[in-house]
Formats: sequence, structure tokens, C-alpha cells
Amino acid sequence: MPSRHGRQARQMKLTGVAALVLASTALAACGADDSGGGSRGGGGDGGDIVIGSVHPMTGALAGVGGLMNGGAELAVADINADGGIEALDGAQLALAEGDSQGKAEIGQSEAQRLISEGAVALVGTYQSDVTQNVAAVAERAGVPLVIDVAVDDAILEQGYQNTFRIQPDATSMGEAGADALVAMGEASDAPVDTVSYIHIEGSFGQSVFDAFQQQAESQGVEVAAEVTYDGTSFTDATTQVREAAAADPDAIVVTGYYPDALLIANAIDALAPDVDAVYGVANGGFDDGSFPADAGAGGEGLLSANYHYAATSDRAADIRTRFEEEYGKPMETAAMLSYQAVEVIAEALEAAGSDDPTAVRDAIAELELDDPLLAFDGPIIFDETGQNENATVIVMQIRGGKVEQVFPEEFKTADLVYPTE
Amino acid sequence: MQTGAPGDADAAEQRSGGSRLAAVRVPLAVLGAVVVAIALVYAVGGRDAGLVTQSIVTGLLLGGVYALVSIGLTLIFGVLGIVNFAQGSMLSLSMFLVYSLVTSVGLPVYVATLVAIPLMFLFGVLVQSLLLNRLTATGNHDGPLLVTLGLSLLIVNVLLMVYGGRPLRVPGSVSGSVTVLGAIASYERLIAFAGALLVAVLVTLLLRRTSFGLSIRAVSSNTQGAALVGVNVRRVYALTFGIGAACVAVAGGLLAPILSLTPSVGEQFTILAFVIVVLGGLGSVTGATVGGLVIGLVQTVGALYLPGTGSLVLVFAVFVLVLFFRPQGMFGAAR
Repeated sequence: MPSRHGRQARQMKLTGVAALVLASTALAACGADDSGGGSRGGGGDGGDIVIGSVHPMTGALAGVGGLMNGGAELAVADINADGGIEALDGAQLALAEGDSQGKAEIGQSEAQRLISEGAVALVGTYQSDVTQNVAAVAERAGVPLVIDVAVDDAILEQGYQNTFRIQPDATSMGEAGADALVAMGEASDAPVDTVSYIHIEGSFGQSVFDAFQQQAESQGVEVAAEVTYDGTSFTDATTQVREAAAADPDAIVVTGYYPDALLIANAIDALAPDVDAVYGVANGGFDDGSFPADAGAGGEGLLSANYHYAATSDRAADIRTRFEEEYGKPMETAAMLSYQAVEVIAEALEAAGSDDPTAVRDAIAELELDDPLLAFDGPIIFDETGQNENATVIVMQIRGGKVEQVFPEEFKTADLVYPTE
Repeated sequence: MQTGAPGDADAAEQRSGGSRLAAVRVPLAVLGAVVVAIALVYAVGGRDAGLVTQSIVTGLLLGGVYALVSIGLTLIFGVLGIVNFAQGSMLSLSMFLVYSLVTSVGLPVYVATLVAIPLMFLFGVLVQSLLLNRLTATGNHDGPLLVTLGLSLLIVNVLLMVYGGRPLRVPGSVSGSVTVLGAIASYERLIAFAGALLVAVLVTLLLRRTSFGLSIRAVSSNTQGAALVGVNVRRVYALTFGIGAACVAVAGGLLAPILSLTPSVGEQFTILAFVIVVLGGLGSVTGATVGGLVIGLVQTVGALYLPGTGSLVLVFAVFVLVLFFRPQGMFGAAR
């Protein structure tokens, strides 16, 4: 009898667990709102022009979120030091920080808070689902949102008038990735006939893969195997890599985030499949500054097609040096995009000569910003959907323990080695 | 009133009227089911045999890692009746502890693991004696649960503050791999697997062969009775939580060279560890080990047919089936 009693108690406890998890999530949300309200920047009341920044400052993505916030901060400081917004009598900018915690609903409430505190424009948010919600808030409030990082095509397919994206979308990255691979194969007399593709589940991996497959097949390249994995429980990539290699492809293409990319690189190193190239498309790992050291010898020669800061630009190099002095960490491409997003807004404020959100929105839509900090095809110009027309990917390769730009020619910092090793 | 009976599930089954046959029936049935399932995959699975072998080897090695995380949890859950939500974040904590010992003190990663074990043990003892004992003693069930939930938030955010959220890597471990029956297995994962088996054996011996193990089992089956015959219940609670934390330290040390370290890295194991503990039977170390291996196999071999999240669906399907036909878990005592 006593044991039955105990069992019931324990079952009740298990039921309680679920309820508590829900409750704790809700509590965390409330807590964030409170603390967020307390930490609002110096902007808003001092006559400064407030730009709202929504990034994951806590949670699993806090690392990159912090860097991106830093990038935006540095841009604001640079513009203020340079005399502020001249068209508005040297008005100073202020950055108001929001923390999405990596969650869509919290990003949404943070965006609402920043707008109600007087933000004239928003930058953010790194994740596609969070960006969807923030874009909806921005549209309703008539405040422009400049997306620094968020890849999903669907965000701009809503017909929003107030949302602009600097980086290429998933489809164009998949397509450009396929084109670049074919071009590199031809240029090196090792044409690509078949590829295997390993990608993360969900809209990010799937949309990049779909675009890549369509473009590759139109160029006569067969996608022999599609292998997917679940990003939340991925601790070993051996089976996936072996499955990809079993189709005997000329190249293995990989789309995923940093920890996944590292596991996959380790598994490829161990299995040593006979392929001409291992090629990341919109891959969060292969072209990250800390990847070569983490992957060791197995990282050498990996190729990656991605949007990237312009390693050939002196202006970008100067910003990166000062960022590292300020924050003690290398400035990854995502942070450079946040910097660029603030620049876009500042440029629009100059052009509009007004800090009215509607005027800023119109100015962004008309903008042509030369000398982008990213390796793009030309100046930043937004088309009628809000997408930067000249956004594109370039190909990087890990050479001698460093990420080098290798393709196309105009952005080259080192020679391409293809087939690798 | 505690119901888990760590280590003596077999004995309990004999007491409850079963024969010695009953004690081996369940493990044999589990083994049989696994062997039949694997044979089916080879025979009619329609997949390349080498690929299947690879997924089995990978699955067993992954299962070892799961077992390692679950053994600590099953002790805490089984003896103290505490749903330890901080298990995953304690795993992260030990991985970062090992990371610090490797990068700042310069110890090799497996030596650092040995250093981390007593530190985490102490951490566990302190958590139980300072934060949880008062609540556990009153028989309050929600209190400890909330405390561990709070503890996990605290650990994750302190780690975030100290180390930042960028993925870190423990440098300089044993790299390389061996080929087993045509399947690749890295040394690091083989070492983790061996470590899991070693921990399972040591904890089982501790529970069955030492007088301290006897007092743990006594407290587990009847707290009041144990107290009446002179067992210091609070001390047993504290030390048991300490042992649970020490198991996590081993898991953290062995996993550190394999995974990218982020403050939330351990949390992906929490849910699966609870599944494995309930699957294996509360408080059963053997159950946690076997459960870990089975879940690892189901997830990896299942991924050949249902890739990605699909393999987790299979894991939970197995879980539901076991709960339906054998609610006390594979190695739990019948009640």
C-alpha cells in the first residue's frame, strides 16, 4: 500500500512537471519584459534619435546575438563621433537594446516596447521566425525594419512595405551556391556531376536545399542523396556523412549551424570519403573565424558559399580591428551586417532630413548605398519587396588554418584549391 | 515515502513472488527484441549493410553517452524522489569546468575529468544539504522541483556570463578513429562508452556491496524505517545527490571533446535522460544503462528510415509502448 501511495504521488509530480515547464517559460517572459524596461538605453528622452535593436542576448544564441548588438553599437558610436546626422543639425543616434531570447513571441513584445519608446527604425534579428514576428509589428506600427541576418524567403513574401533585407535570401543563396560550385568544377577541370546534400531540418535548411537542387539540376548536376538531421538532438554525424558518401558523389554539400557543421566536419575527417569537395552553402560554421581552430586538420580545404564581410575592403578591415579592440572578440559577418544595417538607417535619416518613421522608410526604399561592407555585387539597393538586389554569396576556403576568400576572382584573398587535397 | 529501489530491483522481483526466471526474463526479452529488430533491418530493411552496421555502432556509442547522463539522474530520481531539472545544466557546468581546467591549468582532458569528479560531487552535496534537504525531508514534492528548475536557470546564465555564448571547443584530446566491422568509431566516443560501462559497474557495486549502498537502498525503500534503525537520512540524501552529480561530471568530461560547448549544450540530454530513466525503471542503474543503449540504437538506426525529428518520434513510441505494457520500466520492481 505505501508503495502505491508513493507511485501516485510520483505520477502527480510528473504531471506537475509539464505544467511547471510552461509556467517557467511564461515567468521567464515576464522577467525579460521587466528587466528590458529597466535597461533601456539613454535614448528616447534626451532628444537623441533612437534605433531599436532586437537580437538574442540570452539563451543558446546569446554569443552571436551579443556580437551583433556590439556591431550595431559600434556603428552608432562611429556615426555620432563623425558628427551625427548632419541633415538634422548633427542629431546624435542612440541604440535601444531588445533581447529576443531567441524566441519569436518575446522578440515581438520587445519590438513593440522599443517602438513605444520612440524607436524610429529597428534592426534585427538573426532568426527567421523571430524576424517574421518583428516584421509584422514593424508593418503595423509603420516603423521600418532593416534585417541584418534572417534568411527565410517567406519574410518578404508577405508584401510588407516596411521591411528591408541586406543579406541574400535562402533561395538566392542556394541558387548562387549551385552556380559557384559548377563554375569552380569547370574552372578546375573536375566537373561536378553528382552531389550529396546534408542539411538541417526546418525552413532554413529545406529552402536552401530546394533552391540548390533546382538550380543544380538545371545545370545538369544530379543530387544523388538528400540527408537531413534534427538540429536539437544532433550529437554524432557519422551515420549521416556515411549515408551521403554512399551515393559516391563528386561533392558533399552541407547546410546547418555551427555545432552541426563541426560534427559533420569531424565525421568527414574520420570517414575520409572520396570526394572532390566538401562545400557549405549558407553554412553557419565553415566560414566562421573560429572554425579552423576548432575543426583542426579536418577543416583544411573546406569550401563555403556564404555572404561574407568584404575582406578586400579597407573600411571593413578598419571596423573589424576597432571591434576586436572594443569587444575582445573577432567581428564575424553577422555583426558586420548589424553595423551595415545601422548605416543604412543613418543614411536614410540624412536623405530624409527627418526622423519621422514614414519618411525614413521612404528614404530606405529609394536608397543607393555605395561601398558596402560585405562582398556584394554592387551598392545596396532594395527592390520593391525590400530585398537588397545586389546581395550575393562568395566562396571561402579554409587554407592554412584561416578562412580565405577564393571565388570569384574580384574578392580573392587566396587561390582556390579544387579538388581539395 | 520513497518507492525507488536502486540496485535491488531483481531482489524485489523475487520477493514479490517471481522466480529466478522472472529476474532474467525482462533483460532477455529486451535483448531478444533488439536482436530481432536489428536482424529485420539487415534482412528486409533495404539499406546498405555497411551503413546499417555504422548506424548500429554509432547508436551504441551514443547510447553509452545517454546512459552516463541517465545513471546520475536515476539515483537522484529513484532515491530522493527529486525530479532534477538541473541535470542538463549540471552537465554543461561540468563540461565548462573541464574546459577551464584544460585551457587555464593545462591538464589533459581526461585528467581534468578526474579532477572535476570530486568538485562536482562536492557541488552536489552542497546543493542537496543547503538547498534541498529541508524540502525533501518534509515530503514536499513541488519545492525541490522548483529549486532545481531555478538552479538550472542560474547555472546556464552564470555560464553565459562567464564564458559567453559562442561555441567553445576543448583542445588537444585523443583524435583518430578505429574501424569496427567496417564501421568507423572515434577514440573519443569509444572512451566515453567505456567510461559509461565503468561508471555503471562502479555505482552498482557501491549500491550492492557496501554498507553505504545498503543505507541508500534502505532510505530509498522506506525513509522512516531507515531513520528508526539509525541511518542518517539527510546525510544519505546529500551523498546520493553528490554521487549523481559526480556521474554527471564523468559524462561532462567524456563529452567535452566531442561536442561544441555552449551554456545550453547539456539541456538537449535532459528530456531523453528522463525518458531513459522511466524506461529503465526508477532507481535502476542497470535499467538506465540498458535504456540508454536501446534509445541510442532506436534513434540512430531509426534515422535511416525516419530522418531528423522522425527518429525522436520512434524513441517516444518505444517509450509509450514500454509504459503501456510495463509501467514500472524494464528493470523496475513490480509493485
